[in-house]
Amino acid sequence: METEIKVSDLRKQAEEAISAALPRALPEHADIDWFSALTGDIGLDSVQIMNLVMEIEDELDLSVPVDLLAEVTTLDQLANQLKRLLESRS
Amino acid sequence: MSLFAKFERVAAARQALDSKGPAPIATPIESVHSATRGRIDGREVLLAGTNNYLGLTFDQGVLEAAGSALRGLGSGTTGSRMANGSYDGHRALEQELAEAFGWPSAMVFSTGYQANLGALSTLAGRGEYLVLDSDSHASLYDGARLSQAETIRFRHNDPDNLDRRLARLGTDASKALIVVEGLYSMLGDQPPLHEFVEVKERHGAWLLVDEAHSFGVFGERGLGLTESCGLLDRVDFVVGTFSKSLAGLGGFCVSPHPEMNHMRLASRPYIFTASPSPATIAGTRQALALLLDGQALRAQLERNYRRLYAAAADMGYQLGSTTPGPVAAIILPDRETALAHWHGLLEAGVYANLMIPPATPAGLNLLRISMSAAHSDEDVDTIIAALAELSVPVSA
Repeated sequence: METEIKVSDLRKQAEEAISAALPRALPEHADIDWFSALTGDIGLDSVQIMNLVMEIEDELDLSVPVDLLAEVTTLDQLANQLKRLLESRS
Repeated sequence: MSLFAKFERVAAARQALDSKGPAPIATPIESVHSATRGRIDGREVLLAGTNNYLGLTFDQGVLEAAGSALRGLGSGTTGSRMANGSYDGHRALEQELAEAFGWPSAMVFSTGYQANLGALSTLAGRGEYLVLDSDSHASLYDGARLSQAETIRFRHNDPDNLDRRLARLGTDASKALIVVEGLYSMLGDQPPLHEFVEVKERHGAWLLVDEAHSFGVFGERGLGLTESCGLLDRVDFVVGTFSKSLAGLGGFCVSPHPEMNHMRLASRPYIFTASPSPATIAGTRQALALLLDGQALRAQLERNYRRLYAAAADMGYQLGSTTPGPVAAIILPDRETALAHWHGLLEAGVYANLMIPPATPAGLNLLRISMSAAHSDEDVDTIIAALAELSVPVSA
């Protein structure tokens, strides 16, 4: 039970970091749907996504390996990956 | 679903740039007559977007060396350095590069792109780290992709951000290769190299400086920003290209570490490709000699780019760098304005580069001018007058 609570806390921490980073990195896209494809649906380019991730990295004080982003198409998936990184760090 | 469906967005973006006149992307250049003159759309133009920093592409000595090798050694090596493609010239060029830096190791690659691909993918492997400046050239990112190392990025030109990332690695920082460039080709800005070196040393990491756009330009002997900062004894690798100041095609990696020579046995972009042609190597060797003794060329280049930077600032243009350098990137508020400026400059007889996202950092739309030592004072006057004719956007 304790582990479950911790994992959901980490997911929440990841979501909060994304929410905090979004308006700074992409002010014009601050209300992105969490299940939209960032490149396909929203039309972000690789540099915009990179800027968003760098803001999130500062927010969480962790480094996100570049190849991990290759599997991410939505903010929801990004939150999951961040949660895993936070898990491996804790 | 067609395999080509994924290209529709870029094709549409490309088409949106089409208008009357020559294409701003992959501009058809009909001919080139000198380091500074060519023909586009039937008109003679002043070339100010060719990265030909020392203007050596038509140097008589370079042409004669290349021509002689072409006739004497044939048009190509038809093979890898690891097989039949290692001629005396390839080895001599490596020796000359190593001697120029005073280091024991030098490797020549077939292109600058492959030098970065080969160095990064081989120097850092599984269980090790590549730590890239976020504005790194695509060849550095591609080298990282080819590598088995874990790749992380730090904020552009931000030593504190790099420091935090290395701190997170803890003792693993000793297995991290930091990668920065001596001159960033899009915005024309330079890194705070002293600070980066201090961060690297504090964490026991390694440092590679890509001097693609700064080799030939900075330093008493033209070795790049590392030399001009007096840091040659504090970096681990320097990568460069033959296709800018050296006016040829190819790339190199040099190092104070003798063990770097082992990379020849493992670097796929070095092994699995044909070596540079004899003419390319001979021309590059001649250009390298001119570059190392090229203080007068560098003085002229500096004079040219300082004049352009000062004039552009006086006109109210916002540039990508506050420190003058051979690349002047004029930041424009949107794609349409950048496109109009590019066409306007060409109308005035000056060819520069249009640079737009995603090739540019921070989504910027740029009119990129690269200066050459071969530009005369009158050429610089022409470029400045052409810019003055265009309307300056109030803010980018």
